[in-house]
Amino acid sequence: MTATSYGWLVLAFPLAGMLVVSLSWRVLPGRLAGWIASAAILGSFVSAILALIDMQDLPAEERHLVDSAWTYAATADFNADVSILIDPLSVFMCLVVSGVSFLIHVYSVAYMTGDHGHARFFAYLNYFVFSMLLLVLAANFVLLIVGWAFVGAASYLLISFWYRRSTATHAGIKAFVMNVIGDVGLVIAAFLLLDHTGQLDYLGVFERAPEVFSTNDSTIVWACIFILVGAFAKSAQLPLHTWLPDAMEGPTPVSALIHAATMVTAGVYLIARCFPLFDLAPTAADIGAVIGTATLVFAATVALVQTDLKRVIAYSTMSQIGYMVLGVSAAAYGAGLFHLMTHAFFKALLFMGAGSIIGAMAGIQDMDRMGGFRRAMPFTFVTFTIGALALAGFPLTAGWFSKDEILAYTLNRGGGFVVLGIAGYLGAALTAFYAFRMVFRVFSGKAVPEAEELEQGHLAHGEPQNPMTGEVEDTDVGFPGPEHVVAERSWPMKFAMAPLAVLALVAGVVGIPGVTDTLEHFLEPTFESSTYAEDHPSTSSEWVGLAAGAIISIAGIFVAFTFYVRRRGITLDLRDRYRRVHDFLWHKWYFDELYDAVFVRPAATAGSFGRRVIETDVVQGFIVGGATGVVRAGTSFARAIQTGFLRAYALLLFFGAAALLLYFLISSS
Amino acid sequence: MTIHLSIIVFLPLAAGLIGAALPRGYARWAMLAGTVAVLAYAVVLLADFDSSARGLQYVTDDEWIPELGIRYQLGVDGLNLFMVVLTALAWVPCTLVAAFRERERLFFFWLALAETAVLGVFMAQDLALFIVFFDLMLVPFYFLIGGWGTGDRVRATTMFVIYTLVGSLLMLAAAIALGVLATPEGGEISFSLAVLEQRSVPEGTQQWIVLLFALAFFVKAPLFPLHGWVPATYRSTSIPVLALLSAVLSKAGVYGFLRIVLPVMPEGSQHWQELFIIVAVFSILYGSILAFSQDNIRMVVAYSSIAQLGFITLGIFALEDKGAQGAVFQMLNHGLVVVPLFLIIGVIAARAHGSQSLEQLGGMAFRAPVLAALFLIVSFATLAMPGSANFIGEILVLFGTFEDKFVYGLVASIGVILASVYMIRLFQRTMHNRVGPKVESREIDGLSFAAIAPVVAVIVALGIYPSFVVERTERSTVQSIEAAKALSGNDPEISVIK
Amino acid sequence: MDIVWFLVLSAFIFVIGATGVLTRRNPLVVLLCLELMLNAGNLALVAFSRMHGNEGGQVFALIVMVIAACEVVIGLGIIVAMYRNRLPIDVDEMSELRG
Repeated sequence: MTATSYGWLVLAFPLAGMLVVSLSWRVLPGRLAGWIASAAILGSFVSAILALIDMQDLPAEERHLVDSAWTYAATADFNADVSILIDPLSVFMCLVVSGVSFLIHVYSVAYMTGDHGHARFFAYLNYFVFSMLLLVLAANFVLLIVGWAFVGAASYLLISFWYRRSTATHAGIKAFVMNVIGDVGLVIAAFLLLDHTGQLDYLGVFERAPEVFSTNDSTIVWACIFILVGAFAKSAQLPLHTWLPDAMEGPTPVSALIHAATMVTAGVYLIARCFPLFDLAPTAADIGAVIGTATLVFAATVALVQTDLKRVIAYSTMSQIGYMVLGVSAAAYGAGLFHLMTHAFFKALLFMGAGSIIGAMAGIQDMDRMGGFRRAMPFTFVTFTIGALALAGFPLTAGWFSKDEILAYTLNRGGGFVVLGIAGYLGAALTAFYAFRMVFRVFSGKAVPEAEELEQGHLAHGEPQNPMTGEVEDTDVGFPGPEHVVAERSWPMKFAMAPLAVLALVAGVVGIPGVTDTLEHFLEPTFESSTYAEDHPSTSSEWVGLAAGAIISIAGIFVAFTFYVRRRGITLDLRDRYRRVHDFLWHKWYFDELYDAVFVRPAATAGSFGRRVIETDVVQGFIVGGATGVVRAGTSFARAIQTGFLRAYALLLFFGAAALLLYFLISSS
Repeated sequence: MTIHLSIIVFLPLAAGLIGAALPRGYARWAMLAGTVAVLAYAVVLLADFDSSARGLQYVTDDEWIPELGIRYQLGVDGLNLFMVVLTALAWVPCTLVAAFRERERLFFFWLALAETAVLGVFMAQDLALFIVFFDLMLVPFYFLIGGWGTGDRVRATTMFVIYTLVGSLLMLAAAIALGVLATPEGGEISFSLAVLEQRSVPEGTQQWIVLLFALAFFVKAPLFPLHGWVPATYRSTSIPVLALLSAVLSKAGVYGFLRIVLPVMPEGSQHWQELFIIVAVFSILYGSILAFSQDNIRMVVAYSSIAQLGFITLGIFALEDKGAQGAVFQMLNHGLVVVPLFLIIGVIAARAHGSQSLEQLGGMAFRAPVLAALFLIVSFATLAMPGSANFIGEILVLFGTFEDKFVYGLVASIGVILASVYMIRLFQRTMHNRVGPKVESREIDGLSFAAIAPVVAVIVALGIYPSFVVERTERSTVQSIEAAKALSGNDPEISVIK
Repeated sequence: MDIVWFLVLSAFIFVIGATGVLTRRNPLVVLLCLELMLNAGNLALVAFSRMHGNEGGQVFALIVMVIAACEVVIGLGIIVAMYRNRLPIDVDEMSELRG
């Protein structure tokens, strides 16, 4: 079997899993649906490894294989096949996606126990993994867009999974519409590329592009900007980011899988994949870098004041993706993708831990009501802290190596990038702070009632309610099930979280500067034609950067320790003193309100204007009424004659006859 | 085997007549047998079709009224192949679902006559024959809407008929003028399209003839601002008839552009290109914006159809190969999507005490997962989510528009975003959120499932393999717009921005 | 006898009938006056027939009588239906066929 055959298998497994689960859901007992789905993803992961092995057997120059299954649509110069591309980048993404997805599937088997929509969940989850793999394996822009949209659809279905909750459905439609905006951006970009290069498949476009476009040619810049629009909509970067925090309405495994480890990284993948185009359009790459940095800082500031546990983690995702976007826009592809991988590990871990904590709290997500879980949930405490350490870039964790590598490359680029690099370090400080803000608020301090109950061995049960609005719900289909699960009592959850914790600690080993540049070398065949391929920071400057990052991280953790452990209550004083700043941050810089005023309200107004004025007055009144009015007016004289009076008709008859008679009399004489 | 198109055209009418003669209760089986037979014949036609052949296939060419140069000509090529299949396919589920106790035989007779007329419209290759069938389409629908509708059906059907008739009469005048003026000195008058394409008419004359044809076709589609008949008609017509009206009848107009207007009068068409594109783009925006502001579920689909037909018209008048291909594909896709959409709306209304107001619906999915799944697939297809065939149609339309009319294409892209808003809104407000006051959630019944599921299967299959359609329609579509395209001077080498 | 006197008489009777049709409101009277007009026409026809020695006019007069009879039957039938349905027997009231 060749590498591409394994590639098709990678796609076939989750698709088969989805079909099996969705068609047989009525007959599957208990948690079997979950196990079938997990097995499918395991099959996918194994196939990805086999594809990797096969590919590495080939010499470096040949490590880009394309295989076409059938013609998708071909007319005029539009030519798109269903074809996949196996190269280091796509195999890397497949491994990360399928590996982390498998662990999250196992976690979900436990988390979704007792939920009436158990099978539906796993069908959607498998569909999502299929879509994501299709996205990264696609060999042309059309199939990319198909995978892109499928991922968006899966995201919508999973966000609004508990569909009888109106907050969830609202979040779902918001995410979906923003995703479609990204789709449209990609369509326009694809057109611009087709129009000038005559190709739609990656290898063809990338080959023709340097021949057709000069550097910073306006068309290629616009094409890249539209690609960025697509990437930012998917990766929740400014200004298309407002859907991500709301997406936390979905079950926690969904947040772990989609909104941390995989879907949101699709934008990063896309920018890395299209690097030859961004090479030709430095302006667009610069825009990408600036927005990545801006998002990084923005999200970090908002995460400082959020009180919903999942939303803090969501904003941290947004921020970390900002790092990745900065990395790939600054042509540090290896570094950006390295961070993508490590982030997948520790972010999924954080979300899984959060799921466990929320289970202990019987569905409540508000950190204000949490505290002192350290003794009650030791496993969760350890894994969550490991995740937070990696997020904060604590020395020797995977996050430390990856994040600081990006910053080192950024600073190395020089010029304006130095500013971005410094902003990145600022963000790192904030990151360390808010990461441990979470840890200390949840695990340290006085134990809350739920924690005490758990210490006695008794899992808390509350009335089912919407965590955001407090509205009472029931536990029927379309709402969360009645059971709550904690990692301490659930071996699938432990099975999923433990490897991730280990990876979050040791994954850095593939990217130790100067010692093992394994990942960098692995990805080289894809990125070697980049203009910046040789533009590395020196090993010593990388270690200096790592040291700086370590100091910042420890400092941030220390400040968090001070605020939340040693001198509790100081944050409340700060909040009162800087009320305006706090509100601004708490309202996420008022982006939601801005979009509501600029897009949603005018659209609604246009709609009701159309409905009430144009439809009623103009079309029905003027066009229809007008036409009938004209006809009525024109024939009114004719109607006036039809009086219905017999005698009037008789009179007319006589007059007419007399007139005729007279006429004939006169004309004959 | 030789395929006679006349059989396809008149088979439904025969079935209807037989059904009218049978005792009550048997009429629908006769009709069902007839529509299934037509579908089978259409599938054979599809399988036998040769996509590499030039020109028309299975031509029937007989003299009809030689004094006026009118021939009885039928033919199939890439343009109408899928329209014939769509018609045959759409009539089956609607016949299956139609359940009227009163005057059943008459209902099915009118339905049969309607199918015959529509098939005739799509297959006619003579202008006068086309118009005969075009106007013949109106008669059964007048009775179907007025006789078996609900609510304000009399007013609805009156408006529908008058709007369509005015357009048709103008078109008739234009067609006669075309036939007469195209006759060369000492030549014989002819209405055969093949002959008319060879003949020429002065450009000034072409312009007003094209305009009159356009008026008739824009009413049929419908496009803004000639859509005044839509609200009343869509509210009052019974569901199976409405599905056919929206899915199939609307295509007769845009098909007419490709079959008659563009090949025969390229100069006239090119003259009005900009205006028609503006009408199309405005219809896209207007239809989409109104679609997400409606409370009545039928009206959401009504306005969405206006927007979709706007896309099709945009594709046609972009005068680009890709655009025209996209338009032809979308004609099929939109029809395929609208039929299950309306049938599902019928199922939903049956589970909400007849209510069709979004205010009162909601939460139906929790005991009807199959219904929700079917509705989800159809909704995603309607909003042209990539992965569906509708996406390929739309991307081809957009790409064709971007080539020369980039800004219009950008505006039309906004329509794509709005489509996602109104379709997801429709889906959520009926299936998700709290259970509405009038809703009793019940799984879809076997009959509706038998009607809807096969069409959904076709939608999914086309999404996986859209090339099936694209490769068959290519030759004729490109040929149809060739003359007009050459006149509009679309040069693919010109860079479209700055 | 000079034909003129017959024609004058015919004209008189015709005009009396016409006036009656135009001015009377009772449909029975209108029918009566209609008969007058028809018979005036008959008189003129017969007079001309005698003048020309041609029996065509007399034959035509017979045809007119048949038609008059048929029309009276229908007219009287309508009046009886009006009476039976308690409608006012007034030509001005029966104006349903207005446009």
